[in-house]
Amino acid sequence: MKKPDTDAIRFAGDDLLSISIDDSDACQQLAAHLRVNGEWIEAVAGISSCVVQFDNTRLDAAGARRRLEQAIESVPETAAGDPGEIEIPVFYGGEFGPDLEAVCATLGVDPERFVALHTGGEHRVELIGFTPGFAYVGGFDTAAEVSRLVEPRLRVEAGSIGIAGGRSGVYALAGPGGWPLVGRTPVKLFDPQAEDPFRLRHGLRIRFRAIERQEYDQISNA
Amino acid sequence: MSITILKSGLQTTIQGGSRSGMRHLGVPASGAADPLSLALANRLVANPSFTAALELTLSRVALRFDTDSWFAITGAKTKAKLNGERIKLHRTVAAKAGGELEVGAARAGARNYLAIAGGFVVTETLGSVSTYLPAGLGGHHGRALEADDVLETGAVSAAPPMIKTPKAFRPRAPESLALRACDGPDVDLLDKESRFDLFDTNFTVGARSDRMGIQLEGVRLRVRSDGRMASAPVFPGTIQCPEDGLPFLLSVDAQTTGGYPRVAQIARADRHLLGQLRPGMHLRLLWRDVDAAIEELSAKHDYWQPWLPDVTAVI
Repeated sequence: MKKPDTDAIRFAGDDLLSISIDDSDACQQLAAHLRVNGEWIEAVAGISSCVVQFDNTRLDAAGARRRLEQAIESVPETAAGDPGEIEIPVFYGGEFGPDLEAVCATLGVDPERFVALHTGGEHRVELIGFTPGFAYVGGFDTAAEVSRLVEPRLRVEAGSIGIAGGRSGVYALAGPGGWPLVGRTPVKLFDPQAEDPFRLRHGLRIRFRAIERQEYDQISNA
Repeated sequence: MSITILKSGLQTTIQGGSRSGMRHLGVPASGAADPLSLALANRLVANPSFTAALELTLSRVALRFDTDSWFAITGAKTKAKLNGERIKLHRTVAAKAGGELEVGAARAGARNYLAIAGGFVVTETLGSVSTYLPAGLGGHHGRALEADDVLETGAVSAAPPMIKTPKAFRPRAPESLALRACDGPDVDLLDKESRFDLFDTNFTVGARSDRMGIQLEGVRLRVRSDGRMASAPVFPGTIQCPEDGLPFLLSVDAQTTGGYPRVAQIARADRHLLGQLRPGMHLRLLWRDVDAAIEELSAKHDYWQPWLPDVTAVI
């Protein structure tokens, strides 16, 4: 990847350093590299910057900056390996997709056509964040005009799939949420006991597959 | 070995250490909003600093000890009674089985911590026992406690020594606060006057204040922000300034990325005080450059070290 300029580094607090990079994938790649290089407490990517947290009882400001510059120097030139593909079965509409009709009305399609469009395309996880395991999934430009709910829901169930601004939003865990909901997957995307508790990760390609209620219940109860 | 909640109060949760190293997965810090008070309470019952304890918020809470127990209360200024008799904060207290404890509403500060010898028996989720309410993680079924909840407590091999916190190590529950802060990475988006105002305003903590964040009122800052900024990493103690110009101070349960300019960052030395901010309280920000903030953190650690040997993990 393109190495960031050391001028792009600035403090974001007395134990935080921010690096500006104007490419979202490069931010993710740098953050992933820093998570295993340089002993940072946290290394978090945004859309156009990456922030690391350091233990300022062990490193002073100048030392932390030096360590970051060194860690950036060792970023590999080649892109990270392909994180692979996953199929996510989804029950569209009904009680699991209370906003499906409104979304269809905005797009001027019927629900059948909507499901065909959503399951027909290839999607990709662009960012994990905001709340635990929430995945911003790109690749649904068809729905660019769909906006978020004016009043967010106080509770959205785990597995819910929302649509907004050309993206799908996948809720790994229950919580408040503002994306219009079109369906839900019975697949557990969060397993607190697993080594990697969240199944979705940056770069992962996703294919959605429409399922009937019977299959939904089978997977749920498995 | 258990306690039973009789009156749950506004928001009582089990809290211990924070979640670390998972912000890139959207997992917030969570944990005690005032970790210093948590550690002080655990110290009095001979528990490690981050043992699971109860975090009480603003209002009255009552509970019953189902077995003989030792406990301690720290944090906000309040009145506490065991079986109707006043007891003091900041000391080890013994309770007989059936004893009823009542902790009154906070009169200054926002949160009390009740630690019990042996701690509460809670399974770790994502590296911590702490309750994270928005996603229902950790603590007691991931939720705030309710009347009739029974909480299992850990075994105690020997009675803890009956001690009290030395006066020098009892933080006074604050009526108002000054918090040290460094420039945020987007401070340049404030105009010159607003940058001055940020550190020259007697803010009032707004009603919209909880473990996620704290609204600051008192001045409308002018921020250059054309609609929404690209989502950027935020942390507990980050002060964001949305287009309405009212700064919002993020706390322990805050989300991991945000779309508003980050104009300041509370220094590590003072982040533990976020848990004691309550609506109506006055707050000022004291500007520090990064080097000074780190030196002052070291001085604060030196001060607390004699009473809390692991203070660098706490503050």
